[in-house]
Amino acid sequence: MGLVESGKLPKTLSKLLNISRKYSIWAYQWGLACCAIEMGAAFASPRYDVMRLGVIPFPASPRQADLVVIAGTVTDKLAPAVVRLYEQMPDPKYVISMGSCANCGGPYWDSYSVTKGVDQLIPVDVYVPGCPPRPEALLEGIILLQERIAHEDMAERWKGEPIVVG
Amino acid sequence: MSQLSSADTTTETPAEDEAPVEVDERRQAVLDELTRRLGADAVVGSHIEPGYDLWVRVTREAWPEAAVAAKAMGYTFFDFLSAIDWLPSPFGRDMDAQEDLLGDPAPAKEPQPIVQGHAGGETRFQLLARLYSISAGMGVLFKADLPDDDLSVGTWSETFLGANWHERETHEMFGITFVGHPNLIKLYLPTDFQGYPLRKDFPLLARRVRPWPGIVDVEPMPGGDDSEGDGE
Repeated sequence: MGLVESGKLPKTLSKLLNISRKYSIWAYQWGLACCAIEMGAAFASPRYDVMRLGVIPFPASPRQADLVVIAGTVTDKLAPAVVRLYEQMPDPKYVISMGSCANCGGPYWDSYSVTKGVDQLIPVDVYVPGCPPRPEALLEGIILLQERIAHEDMAERWKGEPIVVG
Repeated sequence: MSQLSSADTTTETPAEDEAPVEVDERRQAVLDELTRRLGADAVVGSHIEPGYDLWVRVTREAWPEAAVAAKAMGYTFFDFLSAIDWLPSPFGRDMDAQEDLLGDPAPAKEPQPIVQGHAGGETRFQLLARLYSISAGMGVLFKADLPDDDLSVGTWSETFLGANWHERETHEMFGITFVGHPNLIKLYLPTDFQGYPLRKDFPLLARRVRPWPGIVDVEPMPGGDDSEGDGE
């Protein structure tokens, strides 16, 4: 998409691209603790049916994913794996931090082994609070992310160097 | 001091008006058999709670043989192996939130003396392991004292293969060396982790940076009497 990178994309076309991107989010599930149960309910159960929001939660690898949901407790030992996962995703990529542990350490705020928030490792777009959040909360987080994507200026996002973590 | 951490010699709740002292003959027989197999010198302490459990404290030298002897007696199910640090926290309760101290107006600042649990003890660190006999329906808790200047003991992993990872975890959490262990490296912690987190003198640095806020639900809950929000 050289047109996007050059920043000469017409606004209407940019909007159209954003709409198509926001309704085709391939979400990678990174379930680490009890939040993964709620994420599974939100993503894989017919009761909540996340596909009606245009989210496809079955990428075979992070290299096919647009969004990763960090659901659960990130420990210091896992931190390199999280960074590597994020680096493998193709740009544009988004991160939802789900639950208190991924947001700030949560109940393990004083632990010797838990990373105090996944945003210390990778940039986070949407924080979903709760311990664990209900599936509805995660769905609202996705809708908030879709709003963000819809109003995103791709040329602005891609103006600089690609995001490098770590 | 809680019930669990009371020494064997102290009887805090004497049951005088109840039935006379109950004798658990099955567990007493197990204890006698263990003492016979290990030698009377090896068993340095014991405690039986009738109908509940048996604690056996052996010497550090007899620790590997205790597993062999118990396994030969039918205690073939390895439950867990860990350690206890009996040192009272050197940090006291000074990092607690003020709200949490309200119910306990005079928390002890000074280090308290070490008080070991059932079957007694003499050292700060104690090994703790439990074996279970499925046929007998009973378990035995083994303990062993470890002197501070030499935290090493023979491995159980030759007798019970399942003890392998338990000993690795005890090694990384308490700094206890298991002599003869085939692969004594860190299990849960990152390879370059410094210190032994389950020791009582391991500082939780996050608490120094930001003390525990204590009661955080200071906002009125919705629907409560104090709620001001009537803009529904």
